[in-house]
Amino acid sequence: MSKSMLIISRQAPWAGPSAREALDIALAGGAFDLPLGLLFLDDGVFQLAAGQQPGALQQKDLSANLQALPLFGVEELFVSSRSLAERGLDEAALALPAERLDDTALTLLLDRFDLVVTI
Amino acid sequence: MATLHLLSHSPFSDSRLSSCLRLLGPEDGLLLTGDAVYALQPGTAQLQALQLMPAGIALYALDEDLQARALHAPARAQAIDYPAFVELCGRYAKVNSWL
Repeated sequence: MSKSMLIISRQAPWAGPSAREALDIALAGGAFDLPLGLLFLDDGVFQLAAGQQPGALQQKDLSANLQALPLFGVEELFVSSRSLAERGLDEAALALPAERLDDTALTLLLDRFDLVVTI
Repeated sequence: MATLHLLSHSPFSDSRLSSCLRLLGPEDGLLLTGDAVYALQPGTAQLQALQLMPAGIALYALDEDLQARALHAPARAQAIDYPAFVELCGRYAKVNSWL
């Protein structure tokens, strides 16, 4: 039985490679049928904002990678409701259906996985 | 001797913006680039702090960084392109980059 892993992605999407790399890890793990969860925390929640146009910065769009997560079997998607609220995104429609969890629920979430990695 | 302050980091992950706001002179300018444009996200304490700046302090944001992040410049801020960025650097006596 494979160990389950929670990937915590906490970087904004366009300032560096971290957000893309966290997604790549999730997609690679999903392709190998590993039991994975993905949590968007802190500035990582900006990855979920709708209507982004990274073409203005000559960057590739991350939204295709995000949409691919369920296809690769990564269906456990979570987002911190506190991080959303701090960034004015709590009322916003997100680009991906992720379960919104408060801090108490996040503690329980981390407990539930065998491994946790934060990027 | 007015200074143009240049911010490029997310105001949610460190204290550059709040330190900068404390140090601003009455005729200084503030230019948001990169992740610093997240300070213009509606409904946040960061945008509120920027709205409270005295009117003499000019606020600019780089348009391509706004577009990439699905943000729009509020009335208080002026969206500019790179040629305007260069022109702006020449207009102030000093440029302070918050690296």
